Amino acid sequence: MASDQIISTLRTLRAYALAQGADIHIEWKAEDSHLVRYANSAVSLNTNERLTILKITAYGDHKCASANLIVGENDLQTMKATIDKAIGMLAFASPLSYQPTIPSIGKTTVFEETYDPEVEFLPNEEIVAFVNEAVEGLETDDILLSGNFSSGVAVNASISTETPEVVFTRKSDIGITLVLASEKRKWEVNAEQFVSHKRDLDARALHDRLAWFVDQYTAKPEGRLPEGPYRVVLGPAATAEYLSFLGRVGYSAGAMKRGFSMFKEDDIGKKVLSDHFTLVEDPSMLATFPSPVDAYGRERGRRAIFDKGVLTGFIWNQQSADEFGGTATGHDVPNLSLVLQGGDADAARIQDFASLPRDGDILYVPYLHYANIVNPTEGLVTGVSRFGALYLKKDGSIMLPYNVRFTERLDKLFGEKLVWLSRELVPYGTSSTYFGRTPYAALVPALACFDGVNVEISNESF
Amino acid sequence: MTVDWKSQIKRLVDRGAEYADVRYYPKQEEDFMFMWNGNFLAFNRSEESGFGVRVLVDGAWGFAASSDMTSPGETFDRAFANAAAAAARIKRPVRLADKEVLSGRFESPCGEDPFEVPLADKVAMLRDIDSFIRQPGVIQRRVKLSTVRKTIEYYDSEGAEIEKHIVDIFPSMQVAAFDDTGMMQSRKYLPPRLAPTRGWETMDLEHWRLQADRIVSEMRQLVEAPKCPEGRMSVILMPDMMYLQVHETIGHALELDRILGYELSFAGGSFVRLNDFGTLRYGSPKLNARADATLINSPGSFGFDDEGVAAQNRMLIDKGILVGAITSRQMVVEANERGGREIFEGSGGACRACAFYRTPIERMTNINIDPGQDGSLEDIIRQTERGVVLSGEKSWSIGSNREQFHFSTDIGWLVEDGERRGIVKDCAYSGMTLDFYRSLTAVGDETTWKVQYVDNCGKGAPGQIMQLGHGVPVCRFDNVKVGE
Repeated sequence: MASDQIISTLRTLRAYALAQGADIHIEWKAEDSHLVRYANSAVSLNTNERLTILKITAYGDHKCASANLIVGENDLQTMKATIDKAIGMLAFASPLSYQPTIPSIGKTTVFEETYDPEVEFLPNEEIVAFVNEAVEGLETDDILLSGNFSSGVAVNASISTETPEVVFTRKSDIGITLVLASEKRKWEVNAEQFVSHKRDLDARALHDRLAWFVDQYTAKPEGRLPEGPYRVVLGPAATAEYLSFLGRVGYSAGAMKRGFSMFKEDDIGKKVLSDHFTLVEDPSMLATFPSPVDAYGRERGRRAIFDKGVLTGFIWNQQSADEFGGTATGHDVPNLSLVLQGGDADAARIQDFASLPRDGDILYVPYLHYANIVNPTEGLVTGVSRFGALYLKKDGSIMLPYNVRFTERLDKLFGEKLVWLSRELVPYGTSSTYFGRTPYAALVPALACFDGVNVEISNESF
Repeated sequence: MTVDWKSQIKRLVDRGAEYADVRYYPKQEEDFMFMWNGNFLAFNRSEESGFGVRVLVDGAWGFAASSDMTSPGETFDRAFANAAAAAARIKRPVRLADKEVLSGRFESPCGEDPFEVPLADKVAMLRDIDSFIRQPGVIQRRVKLSTVRKTIEYYDSEGAEIEKHIVDIFPSMQVAAFDDTGMMQSRKYLPPRLAPTRGWETMDLEHWRLQADRIVSEMRQLVEAPKCPEGRMSVILMPDMMYLQVHETIGHALELDRILGYELSFAGGSFVRLNDFGTLRYGSPKLNARADATLINSPGSFGFDDEGVAAQNRMLIDKGILVGAITSRQMVVEANERGGREIFEGSGGACRACAFYRTPIERMTNINIDPGQDGSLEDIIRQTERGVVLSGEKSWSIGSNREQFHFSTDIGWLVEDGERRGIVKDCAYSGMTLDFYRSLTAVGDETTWKVQYVDNCGKGAPGQIMQLGHGVPVCRFDNVKVGE
């Protein structure tokens, strides 16, 4: 549906709500998703999902209630019934200790800079041809392809009864994960790409990485690493994973106020992480699938969250600001636009880094599997390496380590343990979550080096 | 709008589809309420309707789904085109195991439909539970209630016609406070199934009052407690921790699609290989595990799976030996072919989708551990030299092949010389899956056996969140690595 049609529908619904005398906020989320899934060197599934989701939040005196609906995009009657439902629920809502703020959008904004119609209509044949190119010559009877080629479009739009103005974003994205795995030996290596425009697809880059890893994993000796501390270099996926946990238990004001943060209010202005660590939220970076205006109509700009290790402040969404007396910081958006600034190291690809001389042994971990927070107030996170760890020995040789588990405190990891970051930044993200298509990427250094990272469990085989 | 689903299926078969099915959800509803320190952070009612079409063309799957009912034929055609395109790159044509073509109806047992309960009564229930935990020393209070009601109509090209009507309820409460080091300590209660039904009648306010007093008392002791000692010792897992251990390291490890490499791009694989069935010593002889979709008061029971296969009760691990898996029609055929022998006899009826817009995949039903002969919790403690009783899952992280794990728990009780000594905080344990289950030395009797629910099991791409259950007793494992 075109942006003007969606905006028109939202204004019709707003008029309906006003006629009921209600104060409401309407969020429209639509997705058209296409996923080609590979397993055992075949397309195992080819899916399309077209969904329109409406969320209505009704506001009263120290009250709010919401009703969600997955609906046909032209089914106005059901949409209006959902408004009635949210209004009806309000009568039963329990009083809040605060007055929730109703979004008041001052200006209609339509943002489609990360939308490419060619992505929306990417045909099956092109997808299969692209993947074939990316893995050309790499599959064998034992080395099999798995992966996802996810392409699609996500629309987010919102309006409230306060004004007739609308915030509208349309984003296209392609998220590719290709895995080559040995059926017999059970090792697995991967290559990933996240882009908003078809023109940025690069099958050759995927192929180069996969080919290099397959070479390593078919030629080099394997073994179990002894448990203990290591100098570790993380790839972008692993770094982005740790950053996502820092968001959950680090700089979120809501988490901090609820006691689930490793930082306290009086940490603002203090150096809590390494000099090397500067994390900014920058909606001007298109690679992050940004939202230049948040759901409350606030224009968003670049802002440092950590500046050379100093915590500059917490991120406040509107609900937390309302509840705890803070000031919302313009972060009521589907995803933040995080950029971990690069450092001085030149190496941008593991293929290049592995060939450089080194003054000690280094464990390279590209990806963390199933990481989780052990203790939020400690910022303690545990996870297991996956998709092609390498042990780069001082003598220049490479060994293939079985997967290992780290359990690390984020303030130590991004503090005293952080040694260097590579200069080049790469986007790492995802196309969708369990709750729908939400294209997202953080810009992170291609490689990040840490000292004294403890291997807590070391597997005995792939 | 009424759609003739069978005609749409026939149309695809006439075009050359080898198989097709459709799941139509006239309505799936969820009420979700979440109170944090008395404030409703979520007071939400959601509703969805739509249909998903799965088609097999030239040995390849295509799927399409839509919430728009105005032109269903387009979605059927899209699924067909997706399958035809997928067929250009297959190695082994998909074949489906034979099934009994069943037509029928399933209704989950429910005394009082939670969607017929006035909203005011639901709100009052949450406020009452919140008032039970609003006690001195409690800094954070969380009360959650999710109720689900869905109707699913299923039709396939083999002639099955099934209607399912499922109601379920998922309540919980949690309290937290800071200890003297500034660390958050919390205690939660996710009730086991308290009745033979799955409706509002299971919400007994007096039961919640008693449990509230218990968890508040334990939380107060936690903030004063010493840290759990580290080192190797026995761990005695209460059902509210054992269920997650089973979920992550038996349930997911034995999903046949994972074993066959269908989840490698994200969720992961399994350390289990096809030649392990019938021979692998998964655990000690005290370990008996089963996939039981006939346990009707649990969310892992659904009458028929999303391929129209009837609910079953199958052994997975028999006296410690691996004998079965969580299976669908496609995977059992492929496993038998690749294994070179008949490992599995027909689908285990465990192929489910979380919504109309997702395709069915292998999902756990109720993955249960049979009760044992080692008596009560106190009996097991009496026979334990040095260990810790662990309760309440706090965090979980598992290796991609489910070969290793790290869990932390809300609370522990030290055990020394057969006696329970005192509460310890910051408990965690880790290990290798097979070593762990082979160290199972005590399994509690029926009095310790509880059915715990899981309402957030994630898997698949596109991602799916599923509800299921685990019936588990108290279990003791020896020589386990304890420590954060």
